[in-house]
Amino acid sequence: MITYRNVHKAFDKPVLSGVSFTVESGEMFALFGPSGTGKSVLLKTTIGLVVPDRGDVEVDGMSVYHGGRSAVDDVRRKSGYVFQHAALFDSLNVYENVAMGIPEDELASLPKRDTAHRVWDVLENVNLDPHEVMAKIPSELSGGMKKRVGIARAIVGRPKILLWDEPTTGLDPINTAAIERLIHRLSTELEVTSILVTHDVEGGLQMCHRVAMLEGGTLRFIGTPAEFRSCPDPVVRAFVDRAAAEAALDMVTESR
Amino acid sequence: MERKLVVAFSLPLQVIRPFAGFGRAAQVTVEHSGALGLLAWQTLVAIVRGRVRYRDVLQQTYIMGIQSLPIVFVTASLAGIVTSQQGGYQIVSTSPRYLLGTLVVQSIVLELGPLLTAIVLVGRIGARITAELGTMVVSEQIDAFKSLGRDPVSVLGAPRIIAGLITMPLLVGFADVVGIAAGIIAANLDAGLGTETFLYGARLFWHNWDLFYGFSKAVVFGFIIPLISVHMGLRTAGGAEGVGLTTTNAVMFMILTLLILDAMFPPLLLQ
Repeated sequence: MITYRNVHKAFDKPVLSGVSFTVESGEMFALFGPSGTGKSVLLKTTIGLVVPDRGDVEVDGMSVYHGGRSAVDDVRRKSGYVFQHAALFDSLNVYENVAMGIPEDELASLPKRDTAHRVWDVLENVNLDPHEVMAKIPSELSGGMKKRVGIARAIVGRPKILLWDEPTTGLDPINTAAIERLIHRLSTELEVTSILVTHDVEGGLQMCHRVAMLEGGTLRFIGTPAEFRSCPDPVVRAFVDRAAAEAALDMVTESR
Repeated sequence: MERKLVVAFSLPLQVIRPFAGFGRAAQVTVEHSGALGLLAWQTLVAIVRGRVRYRDVLQQTYIMGIQSLPIVFVTASLAGIVTSQQGGYQIVSTSPRYLLGTLVVQSIVLELGPLLTAIVLVGRIGARITAELGTMVVSEQIDAFKSLGRDPVSVLGAPRIIAGLITMPLLVGFADVVGIAAGIIAANLDAGLGTETFLYGARLFWHNWDLFYGFSKAVVFGFIIPLISVHMGLRTAGGAEGVGLTTTNAVMFMILTLLILDAMFPPLLLQ
């Protein structure tokens, strides 16, 4: 279970202004919202990549920010983070990139053959041909392949929590559908708690048990996909259908 | 009445403004010093806890040391030649000729060897480290490191700092030998000074302490160049433009720090 308690964060201006909600264990949760509204920042506060100015995040009842260094290490150990642009290490090949996802102490004690097996299995699990990709460096991979390797790296450590930061951004519709199927399958098979930050509202609504919407640094909506679809809030409506989005855009333009 | 009020309020601002500039500079200096101290401490902790991989140190030592040899060779040769030529121009007609040997060797060992090698390393290694780590920051690779439970200082920072400490004294030793050899050849060709006379002058005013002094500089510079470049690289923000800006700032920061440290050596070690 992940609980965000009154999370505040400002850079040059406020990004998050008191966000609170809970994601239950095993739940698949989607976070929508306009660009620059703090979705990725909120996701990063979960594992201490961004430290909130105020508020706290609790993972399985343990405070990430009041439990010292070990609390951050602990939550990172049980989480897998899929970055928006994969964030693969340029100088390492696919095998080395994925193997980095195995916790350091475990990797040190694991025989090389077992490590290779684990990397092989996880690459197959994300629909990549290990034979073809293992020795390649990230610059030799397509955008979709990089995302899959990023996913493989996130799941090879057998996490209990998966954090997905816009995993389908920049992909064509076919690759988007493929990655979404993969996200759904992995989240179900691995029985993990998943938080998915995405602009692909339809995909998020189809995959997730509950969804939330951030707007202007605060929580605008939280509920089930069905409640989201029927929500009368014009900003939420703008995310559900194109016509409402056009109307919302006209409203914003007129108010300027 | 209104005019008097404007004067009354603008005068303090004019007085305060220069102090505000000093205050900001002091704040930035303290902030960087604190962060550099913390990075040095984290590096030490990583070494003591055995979290630095031998392979990474070896790789960085190769990049910093072996790959820098050609440029250090060229720089040290030219430094030796120019010092010998200019020294010859000034000394030969007014002082004993063997003093040219003293001048070249002392200049190379005490000053030019360590400082020029350090400046070459700022351009070749310092800028590279800052740009490399800066790119990793803006492409979220450093965040990825952290998310995987790895410490960027242990994996990326410490090997570079250790490699700097190892390679810089070796490169300075190499630069000293090359610079002196080039100085001997130039003295022979330009001023007609024989090798034995040159070495006689070099030995006449030689103190073993001079070598210690030169290598002390090498150790300090070898530590400070990767330390600043790692520190600046990990602070990068703002995309490709941010990487460029941080790299430029890092190079300026390193050169300024080297020159300040260089100026602190004589009063500390040459008394």
